[in-house]
Amino acid sequence: MRDLFRFLFRQRNNLLFLALMALSLVLLINGNMHQRAQAISSSNAVIGRIYALRHEVTEFADLRDVNRQLATALAAERNRQFSRPILADSAHLATDSTRHQAYRFITAQVINSTVHKERNYITLGSGTLAGIHPDMGVIGINGLVGIVREASPHYALVTSVLGNEFRTSVQLKRTGHFGLLAWDTGDPATASMTDVANHVPVSVGDTVVTRGNDGIFPPGIRVGTVVAVSDDPSSNFHDIKVHLGEDLTRTAYVHVVTDLFKAERDTLQAKASKP
Amino acid sequence: MIAIVRNQVLSFLLLVLLQALVLDHLDLAHGWVVPYLYVLFIIGLPFNTPPWATLVLGFVLGLAMDFFSSTPGLHAGACTLMAYARLLMLRILAPRDGYDPLKRPDVQHMGLTWYMTFTGVLVLIHHLWLFFVEVYRFDDFLSTLLRALMSAAATLLLCLLAQALTTREFRPR
Repeated sequence: MRDLFRFLFRQRNNLLFLALMALSLVLLINGNMHQRAQAISSSNAVIGRIYALRHEVTEFADLRDVNRQLATALAAERNRQFSRPILADSAHLATDSTRHQAYRFITAQVINSTVHKERNYITLGSGTLAGIHPDMGVIGINGLVGIVREASPHYALVTSVLGNEFRTSVQLKRTGHFGLLAWDTGDPATASMTDVANHVPVSVGDTVVTRGNDGIFPPGIRVGTVVAVSDDPSSNFHDIKVHLGEDLTRTAYVHVVTDLFKAERDTLQAKASKP
Repeated sequence: MIAIVRNQVLSFLLLVLLQALVLDHLDLAHGWVVPYLYVLFIIGLPFNTPPWATLVLGFVLGLAMDFFSSTPGLHAGACTLMAYARLLMLRILAPRDGYDPLKRPDVQHMGLTWYMTFTGVLVLIHHLWLFFVEVYRFDDFLSTLLRALMSAAATLLLCLLAQALTTREFRPR
């Protein structure tokens, strides 16, 4: 027994190393498997506060650009408002046929973001007090930004489109074919659209929009444009590269999407799938 | 003693904030180069730091970075490994009559060759672990390796730069 204690004492540093390493691995694996219940993240109040302070210093540098983006978006909205007949307009984006509001958009400010890691996260300066909850979609002025992963009262952590855990259903606007958007290019400006069969006519310049079947993003939100289509003879699917409409390196304001009918639809689907 | 602890606490906070607020936001070579200068804290610990304290401080440093980058366990693991490697490296590189506790692990006291070997090996170990665990798969082996090596070179360069900038402060009294 005494020998055992002596052995343990002599090996105490190695044992401490193994214990700390094991703890790190447990944190790592938990963080990757259970995406909820994550205590170590920048939606934490202290870290959020530090990022908010940094943002207060750096935001002025981007204001000119933010103003230009907002003005452009407003102009696009006006064009849409005045150039289409009232009944067949784009109202399906925000309302359903009986003109009940189907989606609500909450404006939030980006206080921290990265674009060059393997998995990128964005911290928003609003949280549950503003109505932001996990699994809500986040869109920018020109395209997708990500999905809310965690929210604290004043901050929210968003899984960026730029990350290997992000997947969402998208479709080609011209042909209507579905595919899956995933980021595997390592380049913050492009992503891949997979699962589009070889016979589908895809051409460079086609617009890619969200499919909107998941209750996260509304349908028809612009994702980007096709920049390259290549065919691997050994595969039955196109290899499509999509240029992301939203420049995630400079996204300053985003809209968090609330699907107001999600609960109703989920209840119905749950009831239908029961025997 | 108190002055040493105070200096270490300050350098911990300074390096973590510098990393989280500045270096993580640099866009060098389209994201191929990400310097992780915060590991300088582990490199710069005094020679007479007890081994258990080195390990615990390494883990805590990594955990602090994990909070900022929302990556539980990623930096903590890399830094714990690096702290353990530091203990081994100190043993391998030890001068014949042991370390003078008045000296610090920097270029002034230990010479450029010693410092480059010590820092180079530790940074490399940290970056290789970090980049490969971050990718979480082995299919882009070469590009991940290249990213880790290029980033390690950048980190090493920044370490030397930090040395040059803080030389006066660390000159022996």
